[in-house]
This record gives sequence, structure tokens and C-alpha cells, in this order.
Amino acid sequence: MVTRRKMIQATFGGAALITAGAAAPPFLWGASRQASQKSDEKILVVIQLSGGNDGLNTVIPYANDEYYRNRFTLAIDKAQVAKIDDEIGWHPALSGFARLLDEGQLSVVQGVGYPNPNRSHFESMDLWHTAHRNTKEFPRGWLGRCVDAHLSGELPAIHYGGERQPLALTTRTKPVASIQSLDQFRLRLGDHQPLSQGIATNLTKQRSHSDDLLGFIHENASMAMTTSGKLESILSASDAMKRYPETSLGKKLAAVSQLIESGLPTRIYYVTHDGFDTHANQAAAHAALLQQLGDATQAFNEDLKNKGHAERTLLMTFSEFGRRVRENASRGTDHGTAAPLFLAGGRLKAGPLNQHPDMSDLDQGDLKFTVDYRRVYAAVLEDWLGVDSSEILGRSFEKLDLFI
Amino acid sequence: MAELRRDPKQAWKPWQPSTSQPWDLRRAAHLLRRAEFGTPIRELEVCVKAGYSKTVDRVFSVAPSVAFDQSMQSMEKALSSSQDPRQLAVWWLLRMVQTPCQLLEKTTLFWHGHFATSADKVLNSRAMLRQIEWLRAHALGHFEPMVQGISQDVAMLIYLDSEENRKTRPNENYARELMELFCLGPGNYSEKDIKELARCFTGWEIRRGNFRFNQHQHDHAEKILLGQRGNFTGEQAIHVVLDQPSTAGFIARKLVRFFVLDDRELSDELIQPLADQLRENDFDIRDTLKTILTSQLFFADDTIGQKVKSPVEMAVGLLRALGVQADLNQLSDQLLALGHLPLYPPNVKGWGGGREWINASTFLGRANLVYKIANQENSQFSRGSISKAVNALPKMDPEIWIRKLVEAYVAVPLPGDTMHQLIELGSAKRRNLNQRVADVVCAIGATPEYQLN
Repeated sequence: MVTRRKMIQATFGGAALITAGAAAPPFLWGASRQASQKSDEKILVVIQLSGGNDGLNTVIPYANDEYYRNRFTLAIDKAQVAKIDDEIGWHPALSGFARLLDEGQLSVVQGVGYPNPNRSHFESMDLWHTAHRNTKEFPRGWLGRCVDAHLSGELPAIHYGGERQPLALTTRTKPVASIQSLDQFRLRLGDHQPLSQGIATNLTKQRSHSDDLLGFIHENASMAMTTSGKLESILSASDAMKRYPETSLGKKLAAVSQLIESGLPTRIYYVTHDGFDTHANQAAAHAALLQQLGDATQAFNEDLKNKGHAERTLLMTFSEFGRRVRENASRGTDHGTAAPLFLAGGRLKAGPLNQHPDMSDLDQGDLKFTVDYRRVYAAVLEDWLGVDSSEILGRSFEKLDLFI
Repeated sequence: MAELRRDPKQAWKPWQPSTSQPWDLRRAAHLLRRAEFGTPIRELEVCVKAGYSKTVDRVFSVAPSVAFDQSMQSMEKALSSSQDPRQLAVWWLLRMVQTPCQLLEKTTLFWHGHFATSADKVLNSRAMLRQIEWLRAHALGHFEPMVQGISQDVAMLIYLDSEENRKTRPNENYARELMELFCLGPGNYSEKDIKELARCFTGWEIRRGNFRFNQHQHDHAEKILLGQRGNFTGEQAIHVVLDQPSTAGFIARKLVRFFVLDDRELSDELIQPLADQLRENDFDIRDTLKTILTSQLFFADDTIGQKVKSPVEMAVGLLRALGVQADLNQLSDQLLALGHLPLYPPNVKGWGGGREWINASTFLGRANLVYKIANQENSQFSRGSISKAVNALPKMDPEIWIRKLVEAYVAVPLPGDTMHQLIELGSAKRRNLNQRVADVVCAIGATPEYQLN
């Protein structure tokens, strides 16, 4: 008789699964037992808006003349703005967000930033990723530290996308999986079994490395081998893209939804949406990016509601900075500071949670931040993921009141 | 040996072979992996025989071959009129494989990562080609002319949104990246300096595909840049930036990270002697690079294999090692997926290198790439077959060619059981010799050790 344990060994111990590309029946792996019971563990999905999103043209202070004075070509006409209240409204491309807001699934935190803003993409992104000013002393990411301290088990976090793994996910111990796409995520070494089998055996064997760098590579290799077959079976479902826009972000969120539905124990998903560095000819490019963001997020939320995961999934966007209040001579905007941050999901206090930053009190032409980003992190860590935030963030931050 | 990294005086002194550190296949392979893109076994053995100093001469003094340059130029001409810059990337890969001037090409790739410009946004083959040619012409020359030229380079200006720079409300993008990423590094200038430098670049624009200075749009008034006052033009401003004390250390550190170590903290003290050399020699790159690549630190035991192979190093190195002509179009797709296709850097900061190359997806992708190169039906081996490329003979004990292969192409020792596995694959019954060699090459490609350079 073949016991369940033996069968697992036969399938995952050897390379047959990986090379033949055969799908692993979902029951074969531990986490899937939860799938039938619908795990209720809370999940965080982060969308990184890379390049510095122009917050002023995202949540538009349409009642403020300063906005129109500084944005001579880029301002969105009052009539075009989808009004949220008497002060602010959405960029017309953000119909997806407008709809989420109507359904009580979206909150807006305005003026998010940090003291002594750094206007370098890379420095500021590092600050958001590590939650520390001195990133050299804190080389791990804020989510990586959360994984290290609180999330054990298989695949605690997944980065889905082809770019390099964001620093936010850097751990000290077990690395986080980056999955570029289904197509990339498997070994394809022809049909000579001993070759693939030999490689699989070699890589999944435990090894102790005195060499740190080699150990890091081996950890990643080993994880790739043990998870590639499993993920393949999840992602090959054919109706995945139904109801999602055919955009890069739409595809990523569709994949994340499938991974959630599969019953994976993963608590953190991370995707990026790139192109927000709009120094020149901003209008059309920015509108397209916002359209993609709003539509994909809205489709994702809808999908999760249908599958029964909306209540346990929180989506959070962020960007490394906002942009200069006054537009430049290239019909674009230069690097700025504070910007709005968005959260979507079923248990949020919906709507704008605070005031728009003061347009007439600027610091070197930039908005002054009113909410430290680590206050958002603290709320997400404590009230959503249920872990102590002060250790992860280096000190305690007054958390925002985000959830009902 | 670890002390060398903490001993700036000793680290950059010239290395000499000794009984404890002989000039052997391992060290010859190390030098040629780092300074070049890798070498066939036969050529490596020639280098070992010829001796260390002859090999260094070879690395630093290869003269360009007229025939090679001519064949490349005619290809470039055809490609630059093509609309698809992807073809240009394929051509560059071919050039890396074939050029006799290996160090020059590797250093050009270094500068391409430094002055990172993506064809994805520039969308102009001719402009991209001109930029790469500029970088190659100055790669082993002096830094200032290279920076002055790149600041007026059409592809760069398109990439950083600087096709026009008007004196009212100048665009800050180029000014910021020039200081942060190209010359000084973060923390060595203020936000005010960025605004002032942006004023110096006003009037710089692109008209009909060429750089032009539009003096009507230039802000002729006084600027205060990095503590200096003057009615600086763009060129003068670049000189002010390059004259900062932090420039030499910033460039020296990047060279060391690219050619020597990218997984260790490098102290300012360690970098200082190289920075001094750069400043004293008018930022002569070849000179400093020679110090670096012939230093005690470079040949130290714990430097060998302490870098992650970039995908390009991996692919081009394998093509050269095996003397194989593979389908470079297909290869370019794989390199793009691995995040390292030339002309397509991820952003203006270029490729970070080191651990950034490795994650679960890229590990699988790298192993697949080695498989493709070794097994492609349309791969052509210049020596006729893959077994001839690695000097494997039918009657030979497989252990002999396998050990040689590993010694030449794996920078650090493989564990005993991995070696055992390779020998098993290499002796498999019912597989012909070429299949067995290809199997062994693939299995090596999928070891963690092979990912090190």
C-alpha cells in the first residue's frame, strides 16, 4: 500500500514532477488541507508604485486655487474630477478606486511621508522598504523582519514579478520566493531522468555552508526546487484572467488571487507597478498608470469577494515619494515628498481618513507630510498581521486607526 | 587572508605567484573570468604555461583586429537603421563573445551599467548604438571626457527626460542623477545643489536627433554649486562636480564591486589608495583597473568565487568556454527574463549585481539557460562537438575531463557528493559522449557553486 507520506516522497523527493511538468494534485501538500476549510489567516498584498506617484494628480484638491496655479498644463479640470467630498476628488482615470470607495472597500491616507524627506528614488525607496533611516544598519526589509520574527512555515511571503526582489522582503534566514511567472518557474532540462533527478537531489539536500554567499544561493535553489511543481499546479488554472484587465498589473493580481484561493499559507504578497517617474509629458502616461491601478485593484477586490477572501485580504499601495507641487517646463513634475497611500479590503474604515496637506505651507516647493508612513506600517503589522510592530520598526509608532 | 580587506596598504600591492599561491589553472581562470568573459580550456592552459606576467600583458594589451572591427561596423550600420533595439542587444552579445578585446568589452558593459540607459524608453537604435560606441571609446580612457560626452548624449537625454531644458522651471532629472548616480553618490550634495545644477543645464536640448545648445534658453546668471560661485555653463558645472573629493572614491568603489567583490562591505580606507591613484592620474581608468586586477586582494583565496555571476557573464562565458554559436535571439529573451539584457537596464541606477541576481525564479532560469546552450539542436561548436570543446575523448576516464572542466569553470570547490554525481552522469551507459558531456555541463550549471564568479 502506498502511504500518503511515501507518495509525497515519490513526487517531491525525485524530479519526476518537476521535469515532466505534471501538476501536483493539491491534496499532496500540507497547506492544502486548509484550503477546504478556508483558512482565515489574514493576508497583506502590497502594490509598490515605482518611480514616485504624483499624489496631487491622483487625489486632486480641486477646490484649491493653489493647485490650479501650480499645475498650469497638468491640472485636471474641476468638471473632470470625480468628487469625493467638497475638497478632493479622483483623477478621472481612477474610476476603479471611485467604485471601491462607493462600496466601502477603500481608504485614503493623505500626506504620507517622513521627516527630512530624501528625494532620491533609491534612497527614499530604501527608507520605505526598511522603515529605517540608516539602511546600512538595517539591511533587512520591514516585511522581511516580520517574516523572520513571526511567520514560520512554508512560503510565508511571495514576491510575484520579474524585477529584482524588493528590499522590503529581505530576510535574515530563509529567503522569500520571487516568482517571475509560471513559465519561468520550472526546470526544463529535457527528458533524461537521471540528469533532472540528480540535480533535484543535489539541491534539496541539506547542507551547511561556512560560506555565507554560497549558502544564500543554495537556500534559493532549494526553495525553487521544492515549490516549483506545487505552484505550477495552482497557476495553470485556465479561467484565471477572467474579469481582470489584460495589463501587467492585472495579470499579477490575478495570479495572487489564485495563490490565495489555493490555500497557500502565504501571508504576504508583493507586486510592483512601475513607470511613475513622470518628469516630462506626464499627463497621458500618468493617466494610463492610474487607470491600470484602479481597474486591476477593483477587479482583484471583486474576485476576492466572490471567492470569500475579501474580508481577510488587505491591499496596500505606496510610492517612494510624491512629486513637486509646481510642474516643470517639460510638462512633467520633479521629485517631491508626501503623497496619498491607499488601502483596499473588506474590513477598512472607508473613505479619506484625514485632511489633504496644506497647499500654501510648502517646504522647498514640496508638501509637508502629515502622517509618518511607519504609522501605517504599525497599524498593518499590529491590527492586521497581529504582530508586535515596535521590534520591526525599531521603535513604537502611534498606529493609525484603519479598521472597523 | 581576510586581513587583506582590512589592510589598504597591502591589498592593492602587486600580486606575485608563490609556492602557496601558484599561477595555476584556478588563478588563470579567475583572472580571465573577471577581466574577460571566460576562456576555452585550451586557451586557459596556454595562459598557465605562458606565465602570469605574459597573461596580464595579454589582458591589457590586445590590439583591436581590423578585420573584426570592420565586420562589426558593417553589422552595426545595418542594425542602427533597424527600428528594433532588441537586435542591437543581440549584436552586442555577439560582440562580447567574439571580440579579441575582452577587457575593453567587459569594461564597456561596466560603464553601460553605470550610465544606465534603457532602449525600452529611448526606442532609438541609432542613439543607443552611438552611446555604446562612446562608452567603448572611453571605457579604458579618462573619466571626464566620458562624462562630458554622456551628458550631451542623445539617448541619455531622452532617457532622463532632458530633451529640452528651459531656463524657467528647469527639469531636475539629469542634474540629480549626474550627482547621485554618475559622479558623487548620495549624501555628497544638497537639494539646493540639484536645483543650481539644473540651471546650468538649461538650454541643452535635442533638435532633429542631435544635441544642441540653445543659448536663449540658458540661464546665464550666477549659480552657487557645491560651494562655488560662477556663471557656470553646463560643461563648467560638470567639471565642478567631477572636482569634488568624493568622485574618485565613488568610481573606484564601483570598479571594485564590479571586478573584485560585490558581497562584502568595503571600507573607505580600503578604497582610498585607488581613489588617490585615480586623482593623481587624471582619472585614467586603465591604469587603476590594472592596479585592481593585478593586486594581492584580487588574487586572494577568499576573493576567488566571491561574486555572483551576472546572467550576461554566465551566458557569454559559457558560449566562449564551449566555443559554441547558439541562437542569440532566444538567448536574449532568457537574459531579459533574468533581468540582464544589455541595453535594457531596470532603471537609471543600472544593475545592482551580487545577491540581487539570485532568487528562486532566477535560479531556475539560470539552470535552464545553461541547458539551452549545451543542448540546442542548432548550437554549433567551433571544434565540431561539445566533447571536443572540453577535450573529452571516448576512451578517456570521464573523471579526467570532468575534474578539468570543474577546475576551469567552477570558481570554488564542489562538494564530494556533487562530484560523484557528475562522474556518474559522465559515465552513464547508453548515452553517447556528447550527450554525457552536455549532461555534466547542465548539472554543473545547476549547482550553487557555478553561480559564483
